[in-house]
Amino acid sequence: MIDPTLVLQALVSGVLAAGLYALVSVGLALAIGVIGIVNFAHGEFFMVGAFFAYQLFVSFGIDPVVSLFLVAPALGLIGALIYASTIRFVLKAPELNQMLLTFGLGIILQNLALLVWGGDPRTISGIAYRSIGFQIGPISVGLVPLASFVISLALVLGLYWMLARTATGRAMRAVAQNRIGAALVGLEVDRVYLVAFALSALLAGIGGVMIAVIQSPTPTIGLAFTLKAFAIVVVAGLGNIRGVLFASLFVAIAESMVATLVPNGDTLRNAVFFAIIFVVLVWRSRRVA
Amino acid sequence: MNPAAKRRTVPWDVLGLLLLIAVALFTPELLRALFDRASVSYLSIAINALSLAVLALSWDMLARTGQLSLAHAAFYGAGAYTTALMLRHLELPMWLGIPAGGVVAVLFALLLGSLTLRLRAIYFAIATLAFAEVLKSVAHHAPTSFAGGNAGMNVAPLFRPTFVAGEMERWEVAFLRNESYFYVYAGLLVLTVLVSIALQRSRLRHAFTAIRTNEDVAGVMGVRPARVKLLAFMLSAAGVGMLGAVEAHRIGSVLPDQSFAVATTVLALVTPIFGGLYTTLGPIVGALGLSSIQELLRRTFDDGYLIGYGVVLVLTILFMPRGVVGTLGNAWRKRGAGKPRAKRTSDDATEKPGGEA
Repeated sequence: MIDPTLVLQALVSGVLAAGLYALVSVGLALAIGVIGIVNFAHGEFFMVGAFFAYQLFVSFGIDPVVSLFLVAPALGLIGALIYASTIRFVLKAPELNQMLLTFGLGIILQNLALLVWGGDPRTISGIAYRSIGFQIGPISVGLVPLASFVISLALVLGLYWMLARTATGRAMRAVAQNRIGAALVGLEVDRVYLVAFALSALLAGIGGVMIAVIQSPTPTIGLAFTLKAFAIVVVAGLGNIRGVLFASLFVAIAESMVATLVPNGDTLRNAVFFAIIFVVLVWRSRRVA
Repeated sequence: MNPAAKRRTVPWDVLGLLLLIAVALFTPELLRALFDRASVSYLSIAINALSLAVLALSWDMLARTGQLSLAHAAFYGAGAYTTALMLRHLELPMWLGIPAGGVVAVLFALLLGSLTLRLRAIYFAIATLAFAEVLKSVAHHAPTSFAGGNAGMNVAPLFRPTFVAGEMERWEVAFLRNESYFYVYAGLLVLTVLVSIALQRSRLRHAFTAIRTNEDVAGVMGVRPARVKLLAFMLSAAGVGMLGAVEAHRIGSVLPDQSFAVATTVLALVTPIFGGLYTTLGPIVGALGLSSIQELLRRTFDDGYLIGYGVVLVLTILFMPRGVVGTLGNAWRKRGAGKPRAKRTSDDATEKPGGEA
């Protein structure tokens, strides 16, 4: 009945997609875990990254591979500016105000993009490597998804290494555990927050460059990716940065399986994510209660 | 700081409601007398403001318990689809679609609320957003013969004024239609205000505030947070469901992306924050202010006029976290305190940064 190669293909696609998801979600987890800010605008950083890559390609013919190195610092800067100009001031405000602020930032970014690029999907066309693929037995693997998986995985593991081994990473973990304690031993908490938020935006931006090559993004994909990242972060447990990698695998494979195996399932992709968020949240709340 | 005692002397809320009714009764004729032909479009703007006020005041009722709902687009869409489906499949009077839209929205709130209201604020917000998106997906994938799928459905207008040649001009048909809709929306707002005032005057108001301030403490004090929040959620959904139904008739169609638009949720939360949270007056003031701003922005931009809402939201949170009504109220109280209590006002001023919510 169900073709085993189809299942295997879905599994491979799911694993490859998980890399990008992990990259985007780990930034959100970083903002939540270290700063304690639930950033509803996170997916918009991703979207802005995608459209920067698109614009660099259209205006200057810059290959997305090169754009990776241009967009990343740009998004880091945007993240730092947004932190310094807005987020900083609501750190002690009620949670409702924090959520509303980032929601507002998301609306601004999305609608700015709509003003600049309009609502139609944009494609980076005419790149030779976009169509290259490998055939391994019955399974086909595209070069671009494979490359995005490898890059994402390297970045996520790099972040884990940074958090575990470097002084900056230790500072972030210290601040996350106890901001007053961290301040007492001489850490500049505000600065650590700034770096963490910039890093979070930077990672999302890199993910955006890759999605610009994989798909044809519209300015509204940000919200979808915010929700996807939330789904993953929620599955991992809020603030659990290490769990993101496994949660991404679980969620991406679930999405891929539904898209491939359920009739007309491709259009249900987003519904899978929302269903996962919903079920996991409700299940957790029951277990706690 | 004794609002209960103050209210007994002058019932400002009831007076305000009477004023609202009086103004609403005369607005269409006044606009017609002042602007003649142009009154048709002014009436449309007034209808948009009323619609926004219903949405915002309804959203605020739940916000009073400290919950951030991102599901109000779902209630709006549920109301719109209910009336559209009834028109299409049932031989019932058209007007029944409006209360039915409210009922269906309340049922959705009951379902969603009983599943998610145990969650803490942030998880609740995410879960409600996910729920709204699932409903949108369902509307997209509904069989075309049943609910129109991607193409949506047509909805008949509530009012079809007939043109009488010789007795009236062409534009007066549009005026009569808008006038009728105006009274329906005004009625909906009056109903919502009544519910809001009843809540504010009842003991529930204190339960809401207690839950918002500290849910655990509220539980210890004998409030049942889960039940109270569920009640607030259902009341909050009712008006929005009916609004969705009326809007479906006025717009003439339901579409998945339009009926379940994230923009509806955005409007529902930006307006009360701008006007002033946890009050009856705040969301209405916010709706009047924002619909004027929106009108200006919409005339300037096609795409992305929502950017104005984002900016208003961010600026309000940063500089005016108590909204227009709260900020003005503060200024008023400080001036009214006068000389004898000058010492206390200075105390208030020093406390302010921490105490703002």
